[in-house]
Amino acid sequence: MALKYLVIISGLIIACLPAQLNAHHAFGAEFDRNRPLTLRGPVTKVEWVNPHAWIHLEITNEDGTKEIWMVEGGTPNTLLRRGINKRSIKPGVEIIVDGYQSKDRSNRANGRNITLTDGRKLFMGSSGTGAPKDGKDPREN
Amino acid sequence: MKITVIILCALLITGCNQPEQVKPIPFESTGDVKHIMQWVLDPAADHLWGSAGSIITEAGTEELAPTTEEGWLAVQHSAVVVAETANLLLMPSRTKDDEAWREIALGLVSAGLRAKSAAEAKNGEELFEAGAQLYRVCKSCHAIYVEGEQPI
Repeated sequence: MALKYLVIISGLIIACLPAQLNAHHAFGAEFDRNRPLTLRGPVTKVEWVNPHAWIHLEITNEDGTKEIWMVEGGTPNTLLRRGINKRSIKPGVEIIVDGYQSKDRSNRANGRNITLTDGRKLFMGSSGTGAPKDGKDPREN
Repeated sequence: MKITVIILCALLITGCNQPEQVKPIPFESTGDVKHIMQWVLDPAADHLWGSAGSIITEAGTEELAPTTEEGWLAVQHSAVVVAETANLLLMPSRTKDDEAWREIALGLVSAGLRAKSAAEAKNGEELFEAGAQLYRVCKSCHAIYVEGEQPI
């Protein structure tokens, strides 16, 4: 009888866990690892918030139309450990972002790294969200 | 004989000191862990996270910390919800019978109470750190009980 209850309770817990994952926007729940992209444009907004920082940028399409994209990074503390603080990427500064688009194909992406116009690269700590690890970020393991 | 009396007395005293068996009070849970996450913990956590930090644009910097008594009181409320959610997760119908589950639940208590203290002190920076601590608890839980997108 005890074993029966154990199995039932374990089943309940297991059944519930995907919802927990979705609630916290883990990479696999929101972003598509098969949809890598590169975005280029000036920063319009930085959201320095938990659990993930977001950088908004304005891109210009080939036909001249403009779109605002928002790119998710790691936690603010993760970014701080990588040398990025809330003033590091100022609005108006042009950046290039490598990342992965959202599964719903909206203008949202998980950011892999940022390249500044002077060539410096900043890693966005996205591996902490479950993003694919490609070995480019020296701090991911 | 003397030793036997001493042993008997010791046994009697020990017996008298036994706490009374507390009869469990029946309760009626309204949902499973998924329910608790969706309707209790997530909204409270989102409120805490959205109440600290900065939004930076060319127009300037907006600090997200509350600016009114009502705002801080609402944060205290969410902080207590986060802390008490731990007990909901430890209820018999929801708990997982291992120490890690308990440790994670206690992590919610710690993060929630830290956020509550920060709100009482109207300290936005401390609330931000409490939010970071809360997220570490979330990640710890997922690291143990979720693999990729699938539960372990």
